[in-house]
Amino acid sequence: MNNTIIQTDNLVKTIPQAGRELQILRGVSLRIEAGESVAITGASGSGKSTLLGLLAGLDLPTSGAAQLFGQPLAGLDEDQRAALRLGKVGFVFQSFHLLENLTALENVMLPLELDFTPHPGLPPQEGKEQSAREALRQVGLAERMGHFPNQLSGGEQQRVALARAFVTRPQVLFADEPTGNLDRATGHEISDLLFDLQEKLHTTLVLITHDETLAAQCRQHYRLEEGVLV
Amino acid sequence: MKLLFRRWRQRWRMPELRLLLLALIVSVTVVTAVGFFSSRVENAMQAQARQLLGGDLVLASSRPLDNAWLQYGKDLGLETAETISFPSMVSSGDKLQLSQLKAVSSGYPLRGELKTAAAPDAPEQLAAGQLPARGEIWAESRLFADLGVKPGAQVTLGRSVFTLTRVLTQEPDRGVNLFQLAPQVLMNLDDLPATGLLSPASRASFNQLFAGTDKAVRQLQQKLKPQLKPTERIRTLAEDLSSVDQTLQRSGRFLGLATLLSVVLAGAAVALTSTSLMRRELAAVAVLKAMGMSRRQVLLDHAFSLLLTAVLAAVIGVTLGLVLQFGLAEWLSRFVGKDLPAPGPLPALTGLLTAVILLLGFALPQLLQLVNASPMQILQGALQRPRQSVWVVVASLLLAVFGLLWLQSQDLKLAGMLFAGLLVGVAVFWSLAVAALRLTQTVGRRLQSRWMPSLGRSRRAVLLVVVFATGLFTLLLLTTVRTDLLDRWQETLPPDAPDNFLINIQPAEVGPLQAFFAAHGVKTELYPMIRGRLVEINGKPAQPDDYPEQRAQRLLEREFNLSSFAEFPGSNVLLQGKWFDGNAQGFSIEKGIGETLHFGMGDTLTFDIAGQRLTDTVTSVREVRWDSMQPNFFVIAAPGRLEQLPKTFITSIHLGEKKALVTDLIHQFPSVTVIDIGDIMAQMSSLIEQVSAAVEGIFVFTLIAGVVVLIAALQSQKAERRREIAILKSLGAGRAELRRRIWGEFLLLGALAGLLAGLLALTAGNLFGYYLFDLDMHLNLWPLLMGGVVGSALVGVAGYWNLRALLNVLPLSLLKA
Repeated sequence: MNNTIIQTDNLVKTIPQAGRELQILRGVSLRIEAGESVAITGASGSGKSTLLGLLAGLDLPTSGAAQLFGQPLAGLDEDQRAALRLGKVGFVFQSFHLLENLTALENVMLPLELDFTPHPGLPPQEGKEQSAREALRQVGLAERMGHFPNQLSGGEQQRVALARAFVTRPQVLFADEPTGNLDRATGHEISDLLFDLQEKLHTTLVLITHDETLAAQCRQHYRLEEGVLV
Repeated sequence: MKLLFRRWRQRWRMPELRLLLLALIVSVTVVTAVGFFSSRVENAMQAQARQLLGGDLVLASSRPLDNAWLQYGKDLGLETAETISFPSMVSSGDKLQLSQLKAVSSGYPLRGELKTAAAPDAPEQLAAGQLPARGEIWAESRLFADLGVKPGAQVTLGRSVFTLTRVLTQEPDRGVNLFQLAPQVLMNLDDLPATGLLSPASRASFNQLFAGTDKAVRQLQQKLKPQLKPTERIRTLAEDLSSVDQTLQRSGRFLGLATLLSVVLAGAAVALTSTSLMRRELAAVAVLKAMGMSRRQVLLDHAFSLLLTAVLAAVIGVTLGLVLQFGLAEWLSRFVGKDLPAPGPLPALTGLLTAVILLLGFALPQLLQLVNASPMQILQGALQRPRQSVWVVVASLLLAVFGLLWLQSQDLKLAGMLFAGLLVGVAVFWSLAVAALRLTQTVGRRLQSRWMPSLGRSRRAVLLVVVFATGLFTLLLLTTVRTDLLDRWQETLPPDAPDNFLINIQPAEVGPLQAFFAAHGVKTELYPMIRGRLVEINGKPAQPDDYPEQRAQRLLEREFNLSSFAEFPGSNVLLQGKWFDGNAQGFSIEKGIGETLHFGMGDTLTFDIAGQRLTDTVTSVREVRWDSMQPNFFVIAAPGRLEQLPKTFITSIHLGEKKALVTDLIHQFPSVTVIDIGDIMAQMSSLIEQVSAAVEGIFVFTLIAGVVVLIAALQSQKAERRREIAILKSLGAGRAELRRRIWGEFLLLGALAGLLAGLLALTAGNLFGYYLFDLDMHLNLWPLLMGGVVGSALVGVAGYWNLRALLNVLPLSLLKA
């Protein structure tokens, strides 16, 4: 069985800027196997986030090829790429991006409820709630399930985000500066939790950060410089 | 499905969705309450106007009518009645009097009421379905006076003798026949043959009256129309261009106008709230899409949310509207009467349709933009509203506004005018707001005043001014329309409007009559009246058969009233050509008759007046206001042109309290016929009063809609405000300073918005009045002043109230949220 989760071949991304074409990625080739943890670091504006978007299939490259779960992304439309991610991909963002009008529990349940058309693969509603409660327990928020995001501290919000990312037991987790908005101590707590969960659930982790110590915790470490990985 | 409901419930926690629902409920409530209420009032008005016809449809002819029509009407489930009227002499002893005899069948009148009294000075009573019994007649009190008899007297009509039993005080269909010459006499139709009065050559008016459901009446009308003989005509409320009809048309326009403004306001609120709702959901959707949500699911999720909101709003709004209109009807029962007809179901449907159009046009496109929310932007930290579909949003907004205007006015021309006005208004508002803000900025810098709030050149300030100005504009326009236009319209019916018409005045009586009135302090002006038939146009015979339209044919078959005088009639408007002003030649014609018979300026007309021919050229065209209660004429000849022709005179006078003069008048001038139009006047002014009252009721709803717009506008900017206040606080601004800034900003914005709104309301009100209601232009500074004061007060208080909670919060927590 093929264990490759992500594979790219000579990815190039250019965007128009001030009337000129700006080349952000100049040929990125990369292969990430299941269960691996990969850190990508780089200066601000080096194209880290753009690369993450291409790896997750949120965007398409100008040239080059990308595969997710062995499926070439070229030729898939937005919805087909979304379907590919559904239930198999988790995200953690720098500014948490919890839904303000949802409680912690509801935020965590969200990925389980994304498909409105019921199909046999998904657990029933009670099962979903059970999974979400369990996920929140794992991140240490058993007592705060009914709280809204604005009633939680930054660290707590990111914990909810972690629970939300892991609740579907995704094959791959994309984390974009997960500790960027937190103080050092809280950042450590969150990164410890992140790696714990990743290991326990055998999730592939793609981590974007400019924090070298965080990057050092990953099995592989790439640096993005002038549009190429070094 | 359950999940979709859950999502809606979760969204319900956002103030935006609640505000959206509120805006929708307000608009549905306004539309349905106004719709229900005005449909009831309009039904009542129509019923009242139908009374003047005596039925819903009248088939009239100068020849006996085919009884088959009566049978056909009955087969359709219509009530029917028959009347035949003609002038006839009534005698008592040696006294003779010309009367207008009306023989009626049972069932008469189908609409309206017949009132009688036991004696000329006795209180009047409802006849309640009763008619003169066989061998009896009822007559107007004038006949009693003319014949010098009392109730119970025996009078002769043709070959029959009748007992004059009661005094006829009111019959419904007399109003239509304003120029009736002689006192009315009512008799039983079954008695008519025995009198021998009706011979084949008699000049009589045969009428068949029908009443019933609108559907059956329409059915009868459709069947009748193609089979009408030249002598026959159909009169319905819609076709009878009477004064009441013109009044009704205007009433409908006033009510429609009031509703339109409320709906447009509610639309603005919906647009504003859905914009902020969209802005709030953008990040959430981007995150969900990153997790694998498809565009179809985003669409399904939000479309369901909107649909549920619309249905909820429609149910609540229609219920509230129904309740409110009952309250409104109760409140206005003094004007509209206790027994308004029940409302039809149509306004409920209009309410639902309004909610759907509002959401489709104002909210859905904005939320559809969410489908294109980009998860990439979340990663890049620069979430922007998708740009490509702005034009779709604008187009759908415009389409929806037009749709709503059309739905409400059901008049393409009016909807078009209002739509254009709105567009021009928004464009004007926008440029004026930009200019005004720049001006205050410059003035503020010059004065270097601490107290001059900084409004910035920001789009936000412009948007607030435009939104507030639009809201205030609609309120002010309604006020100006309500008070200003209505006052001016009512001024066209001054309290001293004529209440009596005098006709059949012989030339020899003109001098003595003028002296009589002068002695009693009554102003009067006498106009000669000549009945003539139009026989030639430009030297060619004018034949009824040459005209396809019935109205034209009828005009040529009948004689019409001509007059001749030097002074231009005050209630008319000169459209073309010149008034005589000393010129001894020419005709001045009424616009409508020229259009119907296809003649105009420069054409030569020949009239046959009692065997003599009068030929002249059309030298001017006038517009006549038939509801002015002044004698009006289709054709006026140059002064002196009718000198040698047989004629009578006509005048209208205001008697008011001096009503008793009529008896004296009739004694001194027995051949003069006095027509009391006080009743008709009373009916007309009560109609106008009903309309004013209804518009005032609707004004309350518009006010509510305006407040919702205000809150929506403030809410849509709250997040931005929150950040701004946090920054100012962290920079060390104290509460007092912040309070001063907020008050200053909103008071100034409100005043600017109010002044702009007042300016536009003044302009628009005048244009409406001029083009739709035939009123003169008029400068009233009241809306400007009121706009400025109301604007700054309303916006100042609302703005401060909306933001005051933010003053108490710590800068850190403000920034965090």
